[in-house]
Amino acid sequence: MNIRSTTSLILTAAMLSTAQALAGPLIIVTTTSDLKSITESIAGDRATVSAICEGTRDAHYLQARPSFIMMARDADLWIRAGMELEIGWEPMILDGARNPDIRVGGPRHLDASEKVLKLDVPTQRLSRALGDVHPSGNPHYWTDPLNGRIVAETIAERLIRVDAAGAETYRANLAAFQKALDERMFGADLVQRFGGSTLWARQLQGTLDSFLGENGASEMLGGWVARMRPLKGRRIVTYHKNWTYFVNRFGLEVAIELEPKPGIPPSPAHLSRVVDLMREQGINTILIAPIYPPRAANRVAADVRAKVLVRAHSVGGLPAASDYLSLIDEIVNDLAETL
Amino acid sequence: MATRYKNLTVTIVAAVLSGSAPLLAGDDPLQAMLNQIREEEQTAGVAAPSSGLASAIQSFNPDISVVIDSMVHGDDARRGIGRILEGTDGFGPVREPGGFDDGFNLREAELFISSVVDPYFRAYTSIVVTEDDAALEEVVVQTTGLPYGLQLKGGKFLSEFSRSNSQHPHDWDFVDRPLVSGLIFGDGGLVEKGVQLSWLAPTPFHLLLGTEALQGENENMFGHLGRDDSGGTLTDHSGPRLWLQWIKIAPPLWGGHEAQFGLFHGYGRHQDEWDDGINDGWFDGHSRFLGTDFVYKYDAPHAYGKGDVTVQGEYMYRGKDLTLEASQSSPGLVGNSRVDQQDGLYLQGAYGFAPRWRAGLRWDYVGLTNRSRLPDRTTQRFDETHRLSAMIDFSPTEFSRLRLQVNRGEYFVDGEREEVYQVFFQALFTLGAHGAHKF
Repeated sequence: MNIRSTTSLILTAAMLSTAQALAGPLIIVTTTSDLKSITESIAGDRATVSAICEGTRDAHYLQARPSFIMMARDADLWIRAGMELEIGWEPMILDGARNPDIRVGGPRHLDASEKVLKLDVPTQRLSRALGDVHPSGNPHYWTDPLNGRIVAETIAERLIRVDAAGAETYRANLAAFQKALDERMFGADLVQRFGGSTLWARQLQGTLDSFLGENGASEMLGGWVARMRPLKGRRIVTYHKNWTYFVNRFGLEVAIELEPKPGIPPSPAHLSRVVDLMREQGINTILIAPIYPPRAANRVAADVRAKVLVRAHSVGGLPAASDYLSLIDEIVNDLAETL
Repeated sequence: MATRYKNLTVTIVAAVLSGSAPLLAGDDPLQAMLNQIREEEQTAGVAAPSSGLASAIQSFNPDISVVIDSMVHGDDARRGIGRILEGTDGFGPVREPGGFDDGFNLREAELFISSVVDPYFRAYTSIVVTEDDAALEEVVVQTTGLPYGLQLKGGKFLSEFSRSNSQHPHDWDFVDRPLVSGLIFGDGGLVEKGVQLSWLAPTPFHLLLGTEALQGENENMFGHLGRDDSGGTLTDHSGPRLWLQWIKIAPPLWGGHEAQFGLFHGYGRHQDEWDDGINDGWFDGHSRFLGTDFVYKYDAPHAYGKGDVTVQGEYMYRGKDLTLEASQSSPGLVGNSRVDQQDGLYLQGAYGFAPRWRAGLRWDYVGLTNRSRLPDRTTQRFDETHRLSAMIDFSPTEFSRLRLQVNRGEYFVDGEREEVYQVFFQALFTLGAHGAHKF
């Protein structure tokens, strides 16, 4: 290639990228399908959103493929789940994309975990003998609808900064998304009377029941909270620690995981421990995401006559979980019917 | 949790009384509660050294990892596999041909350190420690902020002309290097000091173009002896003496499928000694290599790598065109040329047949073209060498891997066919930072 043709190629590239910046909707790339769904709710028509990791894939293990690098190259905004969930592939994608603004620390790089409430944050020195543990805590935070609500706000804030012309749209969409989420959580009647924010604050504080009682509103409770209320304190078994946040929000408990340690597949010895524990405590439900092999769960379930619930833990993991709210809907409905 | 935030009730009630709060402001009840929780988390973070502030400070430390690569090896070659590789017809004498001792081998411990330097640069270094030696295999600084899809990289690095050359040994799907690159460049591959400029084109598919200007110190292909190492016979050439161009294209595919094709070319100066037991002398001239490689990968939607497929192949041709500058044994031949033309290819695949388990096959074939024209104007033609390898590996986690591999090779050395079996049991362990894997 001679110098003249190189120069003209570079100039063409420059013109193309400028043209891209001026015309059309924002191009947003999220690492996970859950972030994609929430971002779509906030951005509306002002952006096209695509996700690197589809819901049918395990976000822990993905390869930094050239097609992902293409997505990142063209991104006006990069949104990641964070908490080292994508540590095995995000650095290679951001490195290969030649898009300085979306690198960590860049103005168009957003870590959605910035403000979420974190669980399983290690308080002691970590060791890989513990399996695939994450120094900043359990990264599957989106299964707590409150974290979904917080993430929506984090995304809206950044969108307003990146695309100020759309500020009004983003504010309105955020309000609509949070209202829809609050109504599914507490029921429309309660949200109308007290406002979602108050109900969430009470829920977080553990005083929702007494608050409703004092205001004579106990009968008005609907939504996920109402459906899950009878299950408070119930114990279930999961495959991986990816329901921790959900279970914590609705007052259930995970007795044990099928994985002996995060990221380590079930061993026969560990499964027999699981069987013993389930018998001992009368646990009858195993919750497993479709990305994991169902064999171990089925074997244990056959032994103790329990039910295996295969439920998406990310948007798109199963067809019914088509967006963020229906993802939570599905889990709540199935657990409420089974337990 | 219930009692922990009781003191907030007053705040919440106050906020409720003041009516519905703006959505992005801090004075609504949920926001007040979240702020309080975050504040408490931060205070706790200062107290607990493993989280919060402490980890923020630690994040300035570079990422450090060590890969320990060891194995048990056995072969049935009379003089060891290293001698055979060294003398492979057409390619030999190969400097640093690799090879393993029968019994226990500690191949290397690789210390890998990487970090962002500042908003403009990223740097990494890989230090390979063997039993008696430590070598700076790579030390690289690369730009992170160039516009128009450009990236500049400088230092000492594994040339990225092909996928196999740019990978560190512990990332290979087999224990040993493909024959073709080992015989052409030696067991270390093409690793040189220099600079690289690459450009990610604004095309709808992945198109990466790169050019490298390298010092040219590979003894087998781009050696430099100069006056000092040739008894004053050869002239000194200043670097860079080796120029590379490569291109990589990844067409858009669907689902979990991905493929990448590459073309590469390298051209540079080469000085060599003539020492075949009969003749002596000094050569000066140029070497060239060119070829193509591809990789196809399928990322199956199963856990722990089950169903994953990788297929990879490479063809490479090399030509050396040298002039005999001086010779004591055959002064009459001075000024005549020596031309070496060799090539080779390999094709390999690996398949995840069970969670955490993979099986693979590799076929090496070198010397499809295999001739040398000597200064006395005679041409020597050599036979092809080939090798078949099979491996099974088990990776308990991303940080450990155990591999069993068997090679059966038919090598030609001094015109004689030698059949050699090799068995490897390799153990790889990674300590420290979680590395990201290149495609």
